[in-house]
Amino acid sequence: MGALQSVYRTFAGKHGTGTAAFIGIAVLFWVICLIVLPQIAMLDYSFRYNLPASEIGGPNDVYTLDNYVYFFRGNDGTINTLDMGILVRTLAAAVFVTIIDVLLCYPIAFILAHSATGVAARLMVIGLIVPFWVNEILRAFAFRVLFGSTGLINGVGMSLGLWDQPIDFIRADVALYSGLTYAYILLMVFPIFNAVEALDRNQIEAARDMGASWWRVHWRVVLPVAKPGIASGSTMVFMLTAGALAAPQILGGPSSLWFTQLIYQWFNQSANWQRGSAYAVLLLIVCISFVMMLMRVFKVSIGEIGR
Amino acid sequence: MNRGTGGGFIAIGFSLLFFTFLFGPLIIMVITAFNSSSFPRITPWECFTTDWFGVLFGNDRLMTGLLNSLVIAIGVVAIAVPIGLAGALALSELGPKLRATLYTVLITPILIPGVVLGISTIVFWGALGRSVGADYGTFFYNGMFLTLAGQVTFISAYAMLVFLARLQRFDPLLTEAALDLGATPGQAFRKILLPFLGPAIGSAAFLTFLASFENYNTTVFTILSGNTFTTALASKVRHGTDPSLSALAVIIIGITLIGAIVHEAYARRQAAIRSGTAQRSRIYGNPVLKTLVHPLTVFAILAGAAGFAAWQGSQYDSNACEAQILEEKRAIQQQLLEEQRKRMQEQRQQQTAPTTAPETPGQASPSPFGGAFKPGTLSPGSDAEPSGDAPKSNSPFGGAFKPGALGPSGEPAQETPKNGSGFGSAFKPGSLKPE
Amino acid sequence: MATKDIVLDHVSIRFGNYTAVDNAHLVIKGGEFFSFLGPSGCGKTTLLRCISGFNDPTEGRVLIGTQDMKGIGPNKRPTALIFQNLALFPLMSVAENIAFPLEVRGVGRKDRRKRADELLDMIALPGVGDKKVHELSGGQRQRVAIARALAVEPDILLLDEPLSALDLKLRHHMRTELRAIQQRVGLTFIYITHDQGEALTMSDRVAVMNKGVIEQVDHPETIYNRPKTSFVASFVGESNAISGKVATQSGKLVEVETPLGRLKGIAAGGRTYKTGDECYMFIRPEQLVLAENHENAITAQWIKEEFEGNARHMFLEAGDVQLRLSKVNSGQSQETPSGGTVPLGFAAEQAMVLPHGELAGA
Repeated sequence: MGALQSVYRTFAGKHGTGTAAFIGIAVLFWVICLIVLPQIAMLDYSFRYNLPASEIGGPNDVYTLDNYVYFFRGNDGTINTLDMGILVRTLAAAVFVTIIDVLLCYPIAFILAHSATGVAARLMVIGLIVPFWVNEILRAFAFRVLFGSTGLINGVGMSLGLWDQPIDFIRADVALYSGLTYAYILLMVFPIFNAVEALDRNQIEAARDMGASWWRVHWRVVLPVAKPGIASGSTMVFMLTAGALAAPQILGGPSSLWFTQLIYQWFNQSANWQRGSAYAVLLLIVCISFVMMLMRVFKVSIGEIGR
Repeated sequence: MNRGTGGGFIAIGFSLLFFTFLFGPLIIMVITAFNSSSFPRITPWECFTTDWFGVLFGNDRLMTGLLNSLVIAIGVVAIAVPIGLAGALALSELGPKLRATLYTVLITPILIPGVVLGISTIVFWGALGRSVGADYGTFFYNGMFLTLAGQVTFISAYAMLVFLARLQRFDPLLTEAALDLGATPGQAFRKILLPFLGPAIGSAAFLTFLASFENYNTTVFTILSGNTFTTALASKVRHGTDPSLSALAVIIIGITLIGAIVHEAYARRQAAIRSGTAQRSRIYGNPVLKTLVHPLTVFAILAGAAGFAAWQGSQYDSNACEAQILEEKRAIQQQLLEEQRKRMQEQRQQQTAPTTAPETPGQASPSPFGGAFKPGTLSPGSDAEPSGDAPKSNSPFGGAFKPGALGPSGEPAQETPKNGSGFGSAFKPGSLKPE
Repeated sequence: MATKDIVLDHVSIRFGNYTAVDNAHLVIKGGEFFSFLGPSGCGKTTLLRCISGFNDPTEGRVLIGTQDMKGIGPNKRPTALIFQNLALFPLMSVAENIAFPLEVRGVGRKDRRKRADELLDMIALPGVGDKKVHELSGGQRQRVAIARALAVEPDILLLDEPLSALDLKLRHHMRTELRAIQQRVGLTFIYITHDQGEALTMSDRVAVMNKGVIEQVDHPETIYNRPKTSFVASFVGESNAISGKVATQSGKLVEVETPLGRLKGIAAGGRTYKTGDECYMFIRPEQLVLAENHENAITAQWIKEEFEGNARHMFLEAGDVQLRLSKVNSGQSQETPSGGTVPLGFAAEQAMVLPHGELAGA
């Protein structure tokens, strides 16, 4: 409390009491009412039984591990391979999409920062941003138009005689992975761009001058500088991909469920909010631990995210 | 550009491929909006039409959703921008240790999956409502309020990042100078820091508006039984697509492009004015050209062009062409039915036990079952026949209606699992279009 | 003009364990041009910010006139600070910048503009009021910053290395100009710098600081000619420092046992030494002469020579001691040694003996 008071006094001294009060109230409201308490409420909820409204708060409303046990054991005590499999596959797919995005965006970010100039650079920036002003749902829809069995790719492929049966890209998850790769590209390009832009051109030229090969320049000079940007972008892309709902719903094949869709089903089809909460908590914990682990491996701190 | 720094042909080629990936899907989607085919596609091209725009505006659910979305987005801008500003200011003044902690806390809402945020929001406010004994009419259970709360949670962080970036370039000595010159801390804030943040407030407002308008993952939970534009759109895409969505994309992309071009004109003008080279420049020095590249002129021209295109489009009548296409389809359909009937009869003669009842679909071209014989299902290359698939199904109709059984047909294959019914494709709006 | 004295009454400023200013105790007289001179990190800026009110002293008091400034914010003190980067407001025009102190005091728009124009006339920049700050040159900005600080007629103007961003010619010009402005307006100027040239040319008095401690407060000439500590002697101007031990002292005259033999000098500030006290002997390069059989005679090895336009510097070595000899360039070619051993000498009068202490730049 003392620390808070002294912080408040610093603010009041610098920006005035009115501003300090506004900052204090807004930040506290944000942290407490919007961030912390809802997560706690969800955590609490996930440990309860799904009771009819009349019994809530009654003698039956006690804490239970049931919802979590279900994830591992199912109803009949056998191992719940279905749900666990979906979680693992969601994570693996998110990792895959993240890696593809890094491979796509690193060159573009570098070109944007160090090769493109003037009009070309401005056009590139606009070209990067404009597609992301289009609604996420419509972007996913565009991929469905592209990859559907009567979509352009099948149409062109068949009319060229490359294949004579339409390929079911949707069932093969090609559409889904492409759509997800597309969906968060911007969040990968700009962190890498920001990091790489800080690099002094002279360093690259010096390295070239000293006879380093093209790939060695990138490996030894550019990549270390880009690392925080890559980490930041990867974290965001991974979390958003793992937590994506729209693209899997629209582009997902009939046989593949995304973990978020499972949560959605608990809420909207089974009306079991408690179990849905438990699954949401699981998703959150698994994703955050995964990211934390990677950050430790790559020695990056969370403070660098969003820069 | 030189090869040593990644320039050259490889870079250009890669950039071209990259931007093809970015824009290709959008361009194709835009083109499909003008094809009369009931499924959004380019091949085969049927007729140029603008009817899908009419279908779009006739969709009540989307239009109510649009209104809700606008109300929510304005609310989010009004709340998230000040909160994000407060967060950024708080971070800029704290000591390094406290700052790192608070930054982590404030940035997490961006990283938390949207579904988790949505769930936690409805659970929390519901629990709060229950504990104060509020009934279901109150705001605790109001989809609009919950959506606002859920979206503000993470959209504020976007606004905060915008402000932080701007604050990094602020020289805190300016505030000290103002204080030293006799300004009160409040005056220094209002007259020095706030004007400096002005452009950031604009971009933060834009970003938060867009983020709110686009949001799906959180909103789909928090809106409860209601609809925003995006959730209505999503449920439409999931339950059957038609090119009216492409029409929507045309409108949105059009607005986006106009916005981008006007913004670019504005940015260039500002840059020219700021650098003081405006008078000397070839464009800004010439009075006619100067007016022509003024952002407002640019906007007026583009908006006028868009309006004219819309008017032209609304006048365009594709009925004649469509009728012809329909006629052709009927003819093909008829022919195929004939062939099928013939084949069925042959089969019946060969098999003593009749296992199928092909007459029903045969006579039912105008009936709901007609969907099974949509042009797409019988598109060229199809060698699968209902009878051929019959053994796989238990029901006599199954073979005909099972998605994918007819080979190339893609649309039913996508829809069916979601609808959970084998008849899904038959009831698709598009499939009944001939009537 | 009845301007107020500034009293620093045993002021210490600490940040955690770090002492930025250690027991500063001095009086700056009203109307004086007073400089704090010291290397970067010596605590001079901290002291200035303390006077202008951005931080309070940990110990001691700051008084302006007779009033204790404790708890009085920077916006309520009769001081105006000119920042190192000037801190002109980039979004405002020149006139708006100058009139800002009036604006926050509720002066009307017209009166503000009038006063701004008056001040622009005073700094000899009439008619630039509507320009943006970034359209001005460095020297013009400098003057605008001064005009802004003077807009509400403070008692004290504090300047934090305001010339450091300017190029050499302009810097020299602005020295004269600042001094002229100070004499015209008759205010107390407190000037912070690490550039001894600035401090010595402009100031009435100079305080030399090192590591938070004020080493000496004196008139510029006294600072140069009669430094009181080893640090001041080595920091202000060039000096040859020869370390040694006091052998004998008779009156002002001190004999010092050095690696170069027994040398004679003057006990600076009338100090008394005991035999065996560690000390430094300081001889200015221009006091060192090429001569044989001097009262203080040294033999040194010639190393190299540098020509610097107005002077010629000879670098020599005697034992482990580096020596430097400077000669004013008279325009005539002179016979100078260019190798081998060189006989040197200096007058005892001009060699200052100071107690052993920290040397600047060592």
